[in-house]
Amino acid sequence: MIKESKIRKPLILGHKTYGDITKDIVDPIMGETPKQWKIAFTIACIVALYGVGCLFYIIGVGIGSWGLNKTVGWAWDITNFVWWVGIGHAGTLISAVLLLFRQRWRMAINRSAEAMTIFAVIMAAIFPIIHMGRVWQAYWTLPLPNQFGSLWPNFNSALLWDVFAISTYFSVSLVFWYIGLIPDFATIRDKMVKPGWKKFYSILSFGWSGRAKHWTRFEEVSLVLAGIATPLVFSVHSIVSMDFATSIIPGWHTTIFPPYFVAGAVFSGFAMVQTLLLIMRKVMKLEAYINLRHIEYMNIVIIVTGSIVGVAYLTELFVSWYSGVEYESYAFINRFSGPLAWSYWAMMTCNVISPQLFWIKKLRTNLQFTFFMSIIVNIGMWFERFVIIVTSIHRDYLPAAWGEFKATPMDIGLFIGTIGIFFVLFLLFARYFPVLALNELKTILKVSGESYKNDNNKH
Amino acid sequence: MGMNTKYWSSLDELQQTAAAQEAMSTEFAREQSVENFLADDKLKETNTGRRDFLKFMGFSLAAATLAACETPVVKSIPYVVKPEEITPGVANYYASTYYDGNDYGSILVKTREGRPIFIKGNKEFGMDGGAINARINASVLGLYDGARLKGPRKNNSSDIDWNTLDTEVKAALASASSIRILSNTIISPSTKRAIAEFSNKYAGKVKHVQYDTVSYAGLNKANNGVTPSYDFSKAKTIVSIGADFLGTWLLSSAYAAGYMERRKPEGEWMSKHYQFEANMSLTGSNADVRVPIKPSQEGQVVAALYAAVTGSAPISVEGADKAIASAAADLKKSRGASIVVSSSNDVYVQTVVAAINEALGNHGATIDNVTGTNFFQGKDEEVRALVDEMNAGTVDALIIYGTNPAYSYPETDKFIAGLQKVKTSVCFNHFADETSSRCAYSAPDHHYLEAWNDYAPVKGRIDLAQPTISPLYNTRYAQEAFLRWADNNTEYYDYIRQTHNSAYTSAALKTDAQWNMAVHNGTFASTVSEAASTVNATAAVSTISISEALAKATAAKSSEWELSVYQKVTMGIGNQANNALLQETPDPITKTTWDNYFTMSPADMREMGLQTYIGQCDCADVIKVTVNGKSLTLPAFPTPGQKRGTIGVALGYGRGAGNEEIGNAAYQTGKAGVHLMDGDKRQTIGKNAFPFISFVDGTWSFKATDVTIEKTGETYSVATTQMHSTVMGRDSVVKETDLATFLKNKDKKRGEAEFNLIPALAVHEDVNGDGVINAQDKKTVDNFDLWRAHPVEGPGHRWGLAIDLNSCIGCASCITACHIENNVPVVGKDEVLRHRDMHWLRIDRYFSSEFETLEETKEQTGKGTIAAYRHMEDPAENPKTVHMPMMCQHCNHAPCETVCPVAATVHSNEGLNNMAYNRCIGTRYCANNCPYKVRRFNWFNYVTNDKFSMVNPAQDDTLRMVLNPDVTVRTRGVMEKCSMCQQRIQEGKLEAKKAGLPVADGAIQTACSEACPVGCIVFGDLNDINSLVNKKSQSVRAYHALEETGVKPNVYYMTKVRNIEPAEA
Amino acid sequence: MANKVLHVMYDDDQKLLDAARALVAQGIRVKDVFSPFPIHGLDPIIGVKRTRLAICSFLYACTGTVLAILGTWYFMVSDWNMNIGGKPNFTWIENAPSFIPVMFEFSVFCGAHGMALTYLLRNGTLPGMPADNPDPRTTDDKFVMEITTEDNHMSVEELEAKIRATDVFELSIKNY
Repeated sequence: MIKESKIRKPLILGHKTYGDITKDIVDPIMGETPKQWKIAFTIACIVALYGVGCLFYIIGVGIGSWGLNKTVGWAWDITNFVWWVGIGHAGTLISAVLLLFRQRWRMAINRSAEAMTIFAVIMAAIFPIIHMGRVWQAYWTLPLPNQFGSLWPNFNSALLWDVFAISTYFSVSLVFWYIGLIPDFATIRDKMVKPGWKKFYSILSFGWSGRAKHWTRFEEVSLVLAGIATPLVFSVHSIVSMDFATSIIPGWHTTIFPPYFVAGAVFSGFAMVQTLLLIMRKVMKLEAYINLRHIEYMNIVIIVTGSIVGVAYLTELFVSWYSGVEYESYAFINRFSGPLAWSYWAMMTCNVISPQLFWIKKLRTNLQFTFFMSIIVNIGMWFERFVIIVTSIHRDYLPAAWGEFKATPMDIGLFIGTIGIFFVLFLLFARYFPVLALNELKTILKVSGESYKNDNNKH
Repeated sequence: MGMNTKYWSSLDELQQTAAAQEAMSTEFAREQSVENFLADDKLKETNTGRRDFLKFMGFSLAAATLAACETPVVKSIPYVVKPEEITPGVANYYASTYYDGNDYGSILVKTREGRPIFIKGNKEFGMDGGAINARINASVLGLYDGARLKGPRKNNSSDIDWNTLDTEVKAALASASSIRILSNTIISPSTKRAIAEFSNKYAGKVKHVQYDTVSYAGLNKANNGVTPSYDFSKAKTIVSIGADFLGTWLLSSAYAAGYMERRKPEGEWMSKHYQFEANMSLTGSNADVRVPIKPSQEGQVVAALYAAVTGSAPISVEGADKAIASAAADLKKSRGASIVVSSSNDVYVQTVVAAINEALGNHGATIDNVTGTNFFQGKDEEVRALVDEMNAGTVDALIIYGTNPAYSYPETDKFIAGLQKVKTSVCFNHFADETSSRCAYSAPDHHYLEAWNDYAPVKGRIDLAQPTISPLYNTRYAQEAFLRWADNNTEYYDYIRQTHNSAYTSAALKTDAQWNMAVHNGTFASTVSEAASTVNATAAVSTISISEALAKATAAKSSEWELSVYQKVTMGIGNQANNALLQETPDPITKTTWDNYFTMSPADMREMGLQTYIGQCDCADVIKVTVNGKSLTLPAFPTPGQKRGTIGVALGYGRGAGNEEIGNAAYQTGKAGVHLMDGDKRQTIGKNAFPFISFVDGTWSFKATDVTIEKTGETYSVATTQMHSTVMGRDSVVKETDLATFLKNKDKKRGEAEFNLIPALAVHEDVNGDGVINAQDKKTVDNFDLWRAHPVEGPGHRWGLAIDLNSCIGCASCITACHIENNVPVVGKDEVLRHRDMHWLRIDRYFSSEFETLEETKEQTGKGTIAAYRHMEDPAENPKTVHMPMMCQHCNHAPCETVCPVAATVHSNEGLNNMAYNRCIGTRYCANNCPYKVRRFNWFNYVTNDKFSMVNPAQDDTLRMVLNPDVTVRTRGVMEKCSMCQQRIQEGKLEAKKAGLPVADGAIQTACSEACPVGCIVFGDLNDINSLVNKKSQSVRAYHALEETGVKPNVYYMTKVRNIEPAEA
Repeated sequence: MANKVLHVMYDDDQKLLDAARALVAQGIRVKDVFSPFPIHGLDPIIGVKRTRLAICSFLYACTGTVLAILGTWYFMVSDWNMNIGGKPNFTWIENAPSFIPVMFEFSVFCGAHGMALTYLLRNGTLPGMPADNPDPRTTDDKFVMEITTEDNHMSVEELEAKIRATDVFELSIKNY
């Protein structure tokens, strides 16, 4: 059996046994619905409904209900899209990349992180569809045989790459997530006493019975999927960034975008994971599984990615000056000194300066501060996308065409709404799905469980 | 011997049966007209039994049900008897003439299936080459306006029929002791004849007063009752004191054409143009030397010029001496080949101007002040006298024709009060407008597109107007009214014929080849009608002595704030205020739509703490301006070039203050698209500035001193289509140079002259052959390509445009033309405010900053880069201006095409960037990726969305008829843009194909190139080496906008050349 | 004599591992093991062969790539090629760079989903399938070894004795 170095602190605190782990996760599912869950869920539903309302209004009346204009053709819509997709990167990254790197601390968080990923990607997918002038024709982006004869999408377009990237990313993450869920559903199924629910979970568990052979396959599949998902994670946001990188608009046409976007994505993703987990571990009493060590590790990831993003910002500025292209340099001068400079500086403070505070261990291991920071980072990342999209196009080549952008209630409403929908989904997950990867945790119990570590010390 | 076999088409034929004979005799069945069919008595004999009845019932029930299930099929009614000249789908053009008392143009009316849908200049036969302006071009909308009077009315309440109207009016006239006719300047011989006939009938009682909305009485008087005609194409030096002769002054559209003939630097000489003015006018923006002066200085400038030209004691004018000196010098250099004009309506100023021209020997050379023109014969005192009469109650009957004094008369209240006192008043206006609604009888005249008429613009020339559609409503010729009341029942058409041919009888209607030719051409040289067209032309020497004139002219004292009213190029005198198209066409200088405002110098505004950046989120500050007791509150709009201490305000706004029925588009609509209300009245668009016109020395004066301004603290959002004024030193957008430099490089090829180099990039090879590879080794961008590109040269068409920045005066005719031709939706003020105007073609107007480039700014101001850029955002106090028409550049490497996910926009093999509306899903990626930002998105369904019901012609039941059937009306959520008038290209190619010839150069014209009065936009086939556009594209002035982006456009721009000293440049 | 199946339950994976090792040493064939999580090192002992799912996945992915290449070629070059931004629309290879993202994504798509499907089918774990673990606790914290008399040529008693020798938590003997 693999022995973990003694100096590493245990990942699973409290002298847990296999039974305890099952109990801790399954009991809340079987038990009564907690009051605070009900409250949270109601609020989320209301917000979500508001969002859906806006959605219908926009589809009914037209994109004109947004603040876009002849110069600024994209603003909140694509900003929100990129923001959500970014958030949707943490989950798969945690479960896939960290799995490849054999990072055990991922096991406590990957399940919920993946759930978050999937919900975030769903939210993200709303925007590119709604932002179309003719939503009902959205399927034209797919290479479907049609009555028009030889009428196919344009594979040169970065938007079409997006269609493929997002759909692949979403479906693969979903499969990856669900395959991991199957054995845990089985556990719940076997624990569950209420017949209705038992049926429900036995359907979800696909009749899993934990044979040796199945477990072998299970591990193989997880590993290979992780192997596939890893480049996928990096490709998705790279391709999203190509929406801008392949254009000719100063401030968009930047080769640095792919890595810079991926870093940003991981950055915001981990921040969002923090936000959710810090709440969840309290509400669902998972302190034993999601403990300071996890929080700290994630904060470290945030420092690193935050710094990468910061370097990227500075590189952009440098290159814009070094290139000597007047449009390029003006685009960036305009970013930090133009009419929308406030958004640039909001971005800078939230993304580059504030995460540096995590160098201080005290802050890094302080839950309240971490929670606060996780919100700040996500605000900052939203502004990053806003800055890239709006401040670049609102003043591009022809000064006569320079414009302004003013958000309307519909811009804001839809964005808030998606946050509501996101939480509705996540709350449902937290209530009825195993929030931790039971089977995986059990495998590391002996390696990283507190009691066992002590045993090891005896030897 | 040859055999002759006979063939039968059938056995019956062989047997010669009766049936066969019958069939053969009627081989070609004669169609039976509806009348005959119904007249057939056999029909009556046929009876319908019970069963049949039930069958029919059953069928119709089923049919009805089915019909109800499906979306209704809208059937257009086909011709019962098709007019021979009309082929469905093929346009007919009719020569006609536009005259509204202020604008005049020889036009060709394009009709489709009998509907006039487009107006262009009659270039072949028209007066001054049929040059027209935006107002004339857009006037076709007026025909279909649903608010037009549908028939005669009494007291603007009860509809009556023509007979009742005639009897009642005649009775009134009979009893009247004084009858007055108030009309605009009548230049129609026949109309004059009709009025004369009427006057004779009521001899002794009738007086005909001609009233020009914008008076030129001063000019007229100073030239002894002649309104001179000018020939700018002969003028080497042009000095204009406030006269906007390219936009609105006198026959501006005609002058623009002549003026531009001499603004082409390739020509043997290029005229030099000085402009002294207070407001930045369209003309001023095109001047070589523009000097801002206060309105009160106009007289002094004129006097100073006179002094300098005649060499008498020099007069100094504060701030203008240098310019006056050089102007005078140039004038003297070009004696007999120069023009001095002034917009002043002050007879003394005009006398001096006339004297200057006389001194320079321009009279008879560039200026004809002997016969002159027949326009603007109004006498201001006469009009005032009439109004006094009316108020005295001594006018029994007043007949108002072709003018709207209740709105435009400076002392409006006085006029209206007088009008109440008039016993019987009749008005011929098309709408129940300010005047008509106050008259006892509204006797709506035909719209000019529905009517015959003749015009004598100048001596010996008769232009004809012919109907292009039968009257839409129950309207009647005003002339016929005059005739009927004079007991003459001739049709006006016959009457016209008689005017020009006393031997005419309606029998000889079709046989008169000469007349038919005249109708075809829209004009003919007349000898008969001279009497009708000439004015009392005596020796053209002003009766006012020059010394007196000089004294009076220089007397005008200045004050801290001065005001001058002007006409907007888009709105003119406001007679088309209900024309949504014109309302939405941005003003060439301020780029504002749907409003008038006070134009002020930004510097003054900053001092007063007024908002100098007007945008979507930044409203303009409203100020209250008072001129001798009359005051207006309007937003203040920053206008670079405005003389400090002066204010300008446009006439032609604030129509329908009394909530008259003058059309939906004449009133302000809010965010919801419904009319904004002031209490129970609809809010007018802008305010009426006519009251600011005051009566001075026997003429109306358009300027005022002793003006007071106060801030109201309110703000008001003004909708502009261009929020940023300067070019930010981006010389790859706009290129300009001075004449001298150009002449040095005249014969070079494109890209060789230093003022127009093709941008180059450093490459890693020894290009310049100096043995070392360094930054000096550069290759021009056209050498670089990301991929093995599609061939574009060689056989086949490659349509392109060449746009001469030198010729473009920014008159906006192309904008309206494009708008009508391509069914571009009108979106209304709120949407323009949101920066969502739909213009496929816009004119970018750039003011120069204080310094041209960033470097220059940095060293001159000592500022850092950021501050320097800020500095460049503000236009100079008296900036140079460039008007740059901007439409889809149809790039060969179009960035929009590669990014469209569904390939909705792809390149045609004729070099066009096609837009497939019904494939577009509206991601707007193309618009974002367009460096020229010329793509327009359908944010709403403009055809059904209530927000646009008041403004968008496509939503009005009758206005809809103006839509061009050759162009799709786009639906919501799709991208649209300039198609280079695809439909016209297609038409032209088919014509050529039918003729079996290659498409001749110039045979195809885009709407914009056709409408351009100065030939600035040239369309053609770049692959045709003999085409004009190809030649232009090779010229040393040719360049691509944003060439370094490598998008390889098919639109070329020609560098602007200013006739200024290199030192000044 | 009737066929018997013995379900040997252990309360710890380590115990099961040791037991399995011992029993296999005595020539007893362990038919299968039910556990709440994968027990590393068990497969060689009870003779579970290595799975070839990874290879399938690779093959699926390759199919995806090929399909993507064919697709882009057919849609953009062969079927109806258009002049898009002046790009060379007559060859696939010169356009290839802009097709790479799609090719990559589609390969991943096929690889991942192909494998996942195969995995579920081979396991026979599909929606609504009945579970066949002998004891519900095996998904919680118990570990069961399934041994049948039929593939071990010894009597139940004999087997039981041998099994009892290990650290058994519970033992149930059922008839087939």
